[in-house]
Amino acid sequence: MAESVIDNSAELPVEKKTSKLAAVSKFRELGLLAFIVLLCVVVQTKNASFLTIGNLTDMITNTAILSILALGMMLVLITRGIDLSIGSTLALSGMIVAQTVSVYSGLNPILAILMGTAIGVACGVVIGFLVAKIGILPIIATLAMMNIFRGLNYTVSDGQWISSYQMPTSFVSIATSKIIGINTLVFIAIIIYIAAFYFINHTRTGRQIYAVGSNPESAKVSGINQTKILLIVYSIMGGLSGLSGVLWVSKFASAQGDTASGYELTVIAACILGGVSIAGGSGKISGVILGAFLLGILNNALPLMNVSPFWQMAIQGSIILIAVIINTLVKRGVDRNNLLRRKI
Amino acid sequence: MSEYVLEMKGITKRFPGVTALDQVNFKLKAGEIHALMGENGAGKSTFIKVITGVHKPDEGDIYLNGEKVEFSSPIDAQEVGIAAIYQHVTNYPDLSVTENIFMGHEKVQKLTGRIRWKEMHEEARKILRSLSSSIDPKAEMGSLSVAQQQIVEIAKAISTHARIIIMDEPTAALTSRESEELYKIAESLRDRGASIVFISHRFEDMYRLASQVTVLRDAKYIGSWGIDEISNDALIVAMVGREINQVFPDRNGELGEKLLHVEGLSKAGYFADISFTLRKGEILGLTGLVGAGRTEVCQALFGIMPYDKGTIELKGQKVRIQSPKEAIKLGIGYLPEDRQLQGLVLQWSIGRNITLSALKKFDAKGWLNEKKEHAFTKNLAEKMHVKANSIFDLVSSLSGGNQQKVAVAKLLTAQLDVIILDEPTKGVDVGAKTAIYEIINDLAAQGYGIILVSSEMLEVIGMSDRIAVMRAGRITKILDRETVTQEKILEASMADKPKKNVG
Amino acid sequence: MTMTQKAIGQNEYVQRTLKDKQEFSWKKFFLQWEWLLILVFFLVLVINTNLSPFFLNGAGLRDATMIFLDKAFVVFPMVMIMILRDIDISVGSTVALSSVIMATLYNDFSLPMGAALGACLLVGALCGLVNGLLIVKFKELSAVIVTLGTMILYRGIAYIILEDQASGNFPAWFSFFGWGNVGGMPFILIVFSVLAVVFTLLLHKTTFGRQIFAMGNNTTASRFSGVQIDKVKIIVFTLAGVMAAITAIFLTSRMGSTRPNVATMYELDVIAMVALGGISTAGGKGRMIGAIIAVFILGYLQYGLGLINIPSQTMLVITGLLLLAAVGIPKLNVSQKFKRFRRKQLE
Repeated sequence: MAESVIDNSAELPVEKKTSKLAAVSKFRELGLLAFIVLLCVVVQTKNASFLTIGNLTDMITNTAILSILALGMMLVLITRGIDLSIGSTLALSGMIVAQTVSVYSGLNPILAILMGTAIGVACGVVIGFLVAKIGILPIIATLAMMNIFRGLNYTVSDGQWISSYQMPTSFVSIATSKIIGINTLVFIAIIIYIAAFYFINHTRTGRQIYAVGSNPESAKVSGINQTKILLIVYSIMGGLSGLSGVLWVSKFASAQGDTASGYELTVIAACILGGVSIAGGSGKISGVILGAFLLGILNNALPLMNVSPFWQMAIQGSIILIAVIINTLVKRGVDRNNLLRRKI
Repeated sequence: MSEYVLEMKGITKRFPGVTALDQVNFKLKAGEIHALMGENGAGKSTFIKVITGVHKPDEGDIYLNGEKVEFSSPIDAQEVGIAAIYQHVTNYPDLSVTENIFMGHEKVQKLTGRIRWKEMHEEARKILRSLSSSIDPKAEMGSLSVAQQQIVEIAKAISTHARIIIMDEPTAALTSRESEELYKIAESLRDRGASIVFISHRFEDMYRLASQVTVLRDAKYIGSWGIDEISNDALIVAMVGREINQVFPDRNGELGEKLLHVEGLSKAGYFADISFTLRKGEILGLTGLVGAGRTEVCQALFGIMPYDKGTIELKGQKVRIQSPKEAIKLGIGYLPEDRQLQGLVLQWSIGRNITLSALKKFDAKGWLNEKKEHAFTKNLAEKMHVKANSIFDLVSSLSGGNQQKVAVAKLLTAQLDVIILDEPTKGVDVGAKTAIYEIINDLAAQGYGIILVSSEMLEVIGMSDRIAVMRAGRITKILDRETVTQEKILEASMADKPKKNVG
Repeated sequence: MTMTQKAIGQNEYVQRTLKDKQEFSWKKFFLQWEWLLILVFFLVLVINTNLSPFFLNGAGLRDATMIFLDKAFVVFPMVMIMILRDIDISVGSTVALSSVIMATLYNDFSLPMGAALGACLLVGALCGLVNGLLIVKFKELSAVIVTLGTMILYRGIAYIILEDQASGNFPAWFSFFGWGNVGGMPFILIVFSVLAVVFTLLLHKTTFGRQIFAMGNNTTASRFSGVQIDKVKIIVFTLAGVMAAITAIFLTSRMGSTRPNVATMYELDVIAMVALGGISTAGGKGRMIGAIIAVFILGYLQYGLGLINIPSQTMLVITGLLLLAAVGIPKLNVSQKFKRFRRKQLE
């Protein structure tokens, strides 16, 4: 079809032009990894109990939930959105599932997980509808839903906690059991990484998520159904929150009114650290997982280094700000370099 | 089957306050490169948007291979093989070249829906090679140069098997070497049987490529000719519709003392070594191709784009301008190129727009004196002959020409010495154009020094005392009113390349 | 007859006289969003009175006012921020931080209470200034992400200072802010009214206010017109910080002590009030008076629901729904006609 246009391709000079931005993003993942290693070394020298099997397992299982949520948040951020409601969705789904298993103790854990996910998807669909169909700004819509879901959670629980003794062992052991030698939480997380990787890199819908965030106007011209994409993205985010709700309640063996309150901020921090652009269009799974792990390590290491837990929040806020500022400065540097290379 | 792949009859398109297309006809043969010409605001862009299904015409019919069609969205047009390459590239900067080429028609595995990356990269490489380009299909789109991005857009058109390819000023941002590459690509597409609609301001482009030319003027269809059937002069008359000297008011003002002197002004990546002098009462034309850096120079003078090197002297005083507020205070005013985005608050009334840059005048310790404001704006809007009922009419309800008058009125609120007008007649109808020319002339006569930026050669020649021509960020020549010709301007704006007989 | 009239009309047109007096139209006057708000306000009062006989006696109304007004101070600058098409979700954290610092300076550093109050205002202003500077210096970042970051940071600092402790023991006179009356009027209501007038005038009658509206409609054109867009933004965000500090003073006074988790999610209430007040999230439009009425609607609604023992958690749901309704209803096409009227009256 196109072969015969001009046939002088033989004498083309082979341009070795790697993308500047791609180079920077590669660099930043390596940098993140280097920083993680450095952090580990520092913590280890201060407290030898850091790099023990027990502590590492604990840390990895803790980070599993965060990284699952961060994957969903990445998709939302790629479409130029934000979701502040996930902490509440997580709590609501966790609470309903916990109440269910406390009454029907024979419920299969897999069914419990599916039930939590379904509740989350329902929450996500509502947000997707508000954002995609009605056109409310994501920040406003999710701020409102965050409070609505949280309020519903209190209403459902009537202010009561569900504690470990009310939950059947089959349910609590979701977090402690192992599948082919791997902790179930971590196993689920890995499955989700793989599924997400396939979804966003190898399906049309996955790529369209990036297209919508990269250039919404062009996406319209390319015939991409933005409403559908946004609905899918917020539903996935909701589903992952619901799933995380079940895992969370199982892991901490309690469901409360204020479960995971404010956790959405940690999740967003993980994404930003992982190099997801808040302006939309770009973000990689590997980066987000690294970002989640960095936060996980930090949260684990602070007590080991005798830093008061009350520092945690301020550190997280600083990390978000510093990360976005560094991103901006790097981008400016690249742009400026490109300009200087233009000959006049 | 019809002789024409695309035929458009009596296309009319109206927007609030303006008829953008008025009974336009167009016929395109298979394997033809068809130039579409006309001045700024003649309706070319709107016409293109009708072909590509972005706008629905209010009247008129579109026939494809003799069959009547209707496009309700750009996708409909794409499906029947119409592709457009726009001047401002519209793509996905964060995605790979391959994805940009195949967006909307990716190759996927039948059952699983899995994207066949390998095949797509291979195909993309093939198409790019066939366009003599060595762009890496895996590169990020945003990291490519504008010329490269345009080639990717063409590759996209090829990958959709487009039969009709529309190029909207594709050479505007390219160097002449890059343009030549583009010409070759266009010719090879034609040889494959595709039809190309080529829009350009450059006569050079047209002579180099087209076999047929259609001219639009003031939203109307003027005519269509074979390239050998029409002389250059006749073509200019067709585009402009009048002899040059008729439209422009006589320049008879006296030039006064030196007002503005710019020496060696530079900004990395945009312009370099800009030097010129402007006198009181003088109109200095600033022209060159789109992308030559004219707007950037003006914005540097107005404090919007910080410059790296060089000096600006205003009335003998060295000044350093860092913000528009400072510029206005020092006596430099700027009428931006994009009236709707940069010049006016469209959702606001005429009166509020006029006073926005001079709120200080009605400000007593921060309080606005609205009575004074209303009287003042009434006076000024009337002086500018703005056609409206009251100063409370929204600017968005005015025609292009009247909007521009409001924007000019806005300039006159401040105590200015130098007025920079960036494409003041862009998107303005003929009648209003004359009015704006008269206003500009009046201003010069009142002693303002005026820098007139324009892509329309006739306008620059007709209005200016002297003309500075820019090319690729530098002033290549400053020409005098008495000796200037279109050829000289063209030569200076494309000096690095021998060209065909133009003008 | 018709011909002559037409001729006169044309003649006027040729002369191009422009009217400079806006004609008063009753239709326009009555088609204002604020009338709807006033209607809703009275509806809330009527419902409350029916629910609880104690509501309408002076004490009930007064108590209600004292309880909800403190968070309303932030509404004034938030109206400006949303007209600028931005948002500030850090205000709740700013309240907490300035309150915690005030309490700590008084209790642990033995500063006089007056000085501690000054420090509180200073901290608030500083928080707002930092927001403003970050937003202006890093234009690539949205206000959402900047204030999200500072929201965590400010509250985080509050936690570092007080950990999970409470700090109280203020001098007796300090409770006057939250509980005091002047001539039968709650002190907080007097302060609120004064600030309401000041901010209304600032937004609608001054150069500064005009510039805010210009930026909300078209930032680029404002910049090209010589508006110092950075300066305006920094001032508005700093004002938000100062108002958050004033909230901190009244809130702390009313509660008698403070903790790092005070004023959590205040931003929801504030944004809900502003949106309900008719300030479009698309920027450029809105009036201070609408938001002020919305403050009283939401305040009395919450108070009334409290009277009939609806738990505060349910209030979260109701506030959230109200916010969604306020921003969602104008976007629905059912109200197309209404929207057109609204656009006209906001000209």
